[in-house]
Amino acid sequence: MFYLLLEMKILEENAGALTNFEVLDFLRAKGASKDPSRVLAKVAMSEYKVYDYLVKTPAGSQTRESVKEYFTAIKQHDLSEAEVLNVLNIRPASEVEIYHIIEDCEERFPDEEVTEIVEKVGNTLPAPPDKATPEEITKGDEETETQKHDEISQDQTEDGEQMDTS
Amino acid sequence: MFYLSKIEHKFALPPHLLARPIREAIQSELERLFLDKVIQKLGLCISVYDITSIEGGSIFPGAGAPTYQVVFNLIMFRPFPGEIISAKVMSLDADGVRLSLGFFEDIYIPTHHMPYPSYYISKNNTRKWTWEYGEETDEFNIEISNEIPSSKCELPNDSS
Repeated sequence: MFYLLLEMKILEENAGALTNFEVLDFLRAKGASKDPSRVLAKVAMSEYKVYDYLVKTPAGSQTRESVKEYFTAIKQHDLSEAEVLNVLNIRPASEVEIYHIIEDCEERFPDEEVTEIVEKVGNTLPAPPDKATPEEITKGDEETETQKHDEISQDQTEDGEQMDTS
Repeated sequence: MFYLSKIEHKFALPPHLLARPIREAIQSELERLFLDKVIQKLGLCISVYDITSIEGGSIFPGAGAPTYQVVFNLIMFRPFPGEIISAKVMSLDADGVRLSLGFFEDIYIPTHHMPYPSYYISKNNTRKWTWEYGEETDEFNIEISNEIPSSKCELPNDSS
C-alpha cells in the first residue's frame, strides 16, 4: 500500500456522480447476474457484493428508458443535482419521504408541487424489487397514517416479514 | 453514493501477465491493486470503470517488468454526510447498532445517534433496540436482519 501511494496521482477527485442504476448497469455489462454460476464471469467477488446490494434497491428494477423519462420529467422542478440523484436512488413513494431527501422542502416547494414530484416518480420509475406486492397491502394503512415514523415502521414490518420468508 | 475518480498510476506490470492483450493485463493488475481498498479522500474502490490511456512500457535497468503509466477511472463509494442509505443490521449491543451493506460492513450507529428516545433491551437471549416514538409506547424494534433506511450524519470511515 505504501508503494502504491508513492506513484499514484489523483487527477480528478470527482469526475462525475453515478446513479445506483448506472453502477448496476455497469456491473451487469461486465457479466454480473443473479444466477449461481458466478465463477465464469469476469466479475470480482467484491464487485459481486455491490451487485447483490444494488439489485435489492430501487435501482434493481430501473431501466435506461425509465431513468431517462424521470430526468426529463423532474427537470421542471428546481432541484439540485444531488437531490435529483437521491430521489432517483431512493425512489420515494410518498411526500413524507421527500421531506427527508430535499433540504428546506417546505420553504422551497408548496405542498402541491411535492405531491407532483411524488407522482412523477411513481409514474416514471418502476417499484423497487421487493416492494411490488407489499405496497398494495399497506396502501390502505398508509393513507390513514399521519405520523411519518409510523409509516417507516410499517414498511419495516413488511420488510421484516419479507426477510423471514425469503 | 458512487462517484468516478480519475487516477494516474505508474506501476510495473508483472511478467506473468504479459502473454495477455495489454488492456486486459493492465485491467487485471489495476483491479488487483485497487479493488475493495479504501483510498484517502476518494472512498472505497468498487470497480475499474475504464482505462483512458496507457503510456510507457519501458523496462528500467535492473528491473524485471515493464513500467506503465496509466490514466483510468475508478468507481468509488463515497457517501456524504446526511445521505440516506438502506442497510442491514449486522449486530447490536449496548453501544449501538452495526450495519452492513454487503460490500461495506463498517457502519455504526452509536448510542447518541440513535433516534431519541431509544433503549437497548437484552433478555432471554433476544437483544434489540427499541425506539419509542409517539405518545403511546409505539415501538420500532431493531433486530438482526431487519432492513432499515438510515440517515448518516457522520463519515464513519478513515478518509477525510
